Amino acid sequence: MAQPRIRSPKPYTRARPRATIDWTHYDPGEFYDEIISAPGRARPATRSLAAFMRKQTIKHLISRQQAADLAIQEMGITFTVYSEGQNIDRSWPMDIIPRIISLKEWQVLERGLVQRLTALNLFIDDLYNRQKILKDRVMPREIIDSSPEFLRQCVGARPRHGVWSHVCGSDLVRDSDGTVYVLEDNLRVPSGVSYMLENRAISKRVLPQLFERNSILPVADYPSQLFDMLTSLSPRRIAHPEIVVMTPGIYNSAYFEHAYLAQRMGAELVEGADLVVGSDDKVYMKTIRGLSRVDVIYRRINDDYLDPEVFRPESALGTPGLFRAWRKGNVGLANAPGAGVADDKVIYTYVPAIIKYYLGEDPIIPNVPSFLCVDPVQCKHVLKNLANMVVKPANESGGYGMLIGPAASKKELATFAEMIKKNPRNYMAQPALKLSTAPTLCGNNIEPRHLDLRPFILQGKKHYVTPGGLTRVALRKGSLVVNSSQGGGSKDTWIVDTEAN
Amino acid sequence: MLSRVAERVYWLGRFMERAENTARLILVRHNAALDLPREVQPSWMLLLQVLGAEEAFARLPGAATEKNIISFVFGEKENPSSIISSLTCARENMRTTREILPSETWERVNSLYLSVARRSNKDLPQGMRHAVLNNIVQSCQQVTGLLAGSMNQDAAYQFIRLGRNLERADMSTRIIDAASAGLMGNVDETSPFRNVLWISVLQSLSAYQMYRLNVRRSVDREGVLAFLFQSTVFPRAVAHSLQQIESSMKLLPEHKSTLAVAAGLRRQLRDTDFSALEGEALHTYIDRLQLQLVDVHNAIAVGWFAHESS
Repeated sequence: MAQPRIRSPKPYTRARPRATIDWTHYDPGEFYDEIISAPGRARPATRSLAAFMRKQTIKHLISRQQAADLAIQEMGITFTVYSEGQNIDRSWPMDIIPRIISLKEWQVLERGLVQRLTALNLFIDDLYNRQKILKDRVMPREIIDSSPEFLRQCVGARPRHGVWSHVCGSDLVRDSDGTVYVLEDNLRVPSGVSYMLENRAISKRVLPQLFERNSILPVADYPSQLFDMLTSLSPRRIAHPEIVVMTPGIYNSAYFEHAYLAQRMGAELVEGADLVVGSDDKVYMKTIRGLSRVDVIYRRINDDYLDPEVFRPESALGTPGLFRAWRKGNVGLANAPGAGVADDKVIYTYVPAIIKYYLGEDPIIPNVPSFLCVDPVQCKHVLKNLANMVVKPANESGGYGMLIGPAASKKELATFAEMIKKNPRNYMAQPALKLSTAPTLCGNNIEPRHLDLRPFILQGKKHYVTPGGLTRVALRKGSLVVNSSQGGGSKDTWIVDTEAN
Repeated sequence: MLSRVAERVYWLGRFMERAENTARLILVRHNAALDLPREVQPSWMLLLQVLGAEEAFARLPGAATEKNIISFVFGEKENPSSIISSLTCARENMRTTREILPSETWERVNSLYLSVARRSNKDLPQGMRHAVLNNIVQSCQQVTGLLAGSMNQDAAYQFIRLGRNLERADMSTRIIDAASAGLMGNVDETSPFRNVLWISVLQSLSAYQMYRLNVRRSVDREGVLAFLFQSTVFPRAVAHSLQQIESSMKLLPEHKSTLAVAAGLRRQLRDTDFSALEGEALHTYIDRLQLQLVDVHNAIAVGWFAHESS
């Protein structure tokens, strides 16, 4: 029989200090950093986070990140990348280090977002009705006449409360001097709110200690706020109007979110074929008990596909007659068709004037300085400085079809210049901003990465702004593109009340 | 409940049952082949007949060998009745109905699909058949058990159950039909192997042990037919499936006309004398029975899935 193996005695080790996170080595350079104001110094609202992290080892943080990744997989939080074809489930990338904004700063931003959406809704309502703003020559009529998002079919429509865009996602960015700008408004079918909610759920799971020490505004209220807003759009004054979420289906990149919101609101998730418009111009859904009246549709499907009788006739995703039912006031649609006219990137440049015109106020959150290529002088400037510009097509979203001057090759610049010359109305340019950064776990290091913020604003009878929103972060070093479809990640966003601590 | 969702979970039930039954079928056919001498071996083509997949097989290149037929029934994506096709459809139906099903069910179905998909373009060698096919049967049963044990027994559950039982009834008739027509062709009445063949019919429906317990007589044609068609206690008997269908229907709204179709069929089955149905007459009877099962399906579709606009 073999003898037991001899074990070596435990080697003597001197207690070595564990390598913890050292903020003096973290350097965001010329950029504004959301957490660290100067090497080794945290901003007031982020002190508790910075101090907590100073006591952690990188190994521990990595293990927390892995726990978060696992939770995301288990909870099935996914999104789709269009070019991937068959591969539907892609786990949602989230960095565990939160992005923090002080409550004091946030309260200003919140007011600014409400101001902006209020003005934009007045503007849309005006465009489809009296067109005062055009008659008063605050905005040239050609811009509306040439906008593909201006739907003639909507002229004369009066949605409830005069509101057209009920759910808006505005993208905010911060430049190197600390100023926050609105980069763009998404007034059609903005997505991402479910990821905001899930990010919070995950960070509460993996970093519970931090929630004890900080006074962080909760976000979990969103689905019920959304539900109340939708209820306020019901054409029938009844206690429990039937509210549904309309999805183009499983192959849409935001399907996860559609199902998520329907589930959280206790609403049916319907596809176009589940709905039918009767000869009474009312909308019904097909249930196993027969047809059942629908009052409000939170539609997550583009205008084009909404109703084949009015828009794209080949659309199999929509419901014939839906537009007619909406025009007659028999169903609430959020967002209303035609609302997209105001998130045209050319209209964007007029938003400060729009706020001034309808509200008589100065914009609380400024626009990024923008150049319209349709104007020959501005176009010349853009073409001359193309290498320092971000050029956007007027009507694309998701970061598709954009030129980022500083990152583009000579050849790409030349091709884009040709495209701009050919169709100047279709382009708008902004100087490339020095987007702010925040510490992000990258492999075995904590490094600065660029980010933006998409808060969600609701408007029905009342307003609501999510406390914070979805922070998107460009995970590639130096990259400014934060879209998840282009390799971006996300962070939980905390509005921290420093006075309460 | 939305009609579309009801329809999708109904098909989820059907496709899971179809995948399970197909796996059983190959398994039993594989075991029977090991018991019988070469000259009385039924042709592997029989498997294709049962599944109604002869035409689809003929369209693809490759001779009707054991290896090709098994691959075709197991992992051929071009074959709509292959196991991989059934699981693909089950998974697709589930993907859009996940919200109303217990989350473990999705994980089970998804991992079963992935394990079969990984093997689907390879052959299924003899040594692996038992393990692979048995895993499919067990996973499907696990899903059935998960649903029974952790899902609200609401309308959605009844639609899954409707799909499962209708598919089961259909598959049972197919197996009996193929057995009595094809299987017996090259074995005469007195052959000692005749018994073995009827036993394998029972086995392909997991019915052998239950037959013994319930019928208490030797395995013969009349006994087997009566048991597989008319038993109200054996879960894979056609009558039992119809009974289950009726009980599900009664729990759903607006069931009057659909229930009448199912109940009519069950009564007719109960009053049939199977000992009098020989050869061609039995085949004709089963053909009609299958069409009547299609009628039940159509009644379900008209009653709950389809709506005319008002």
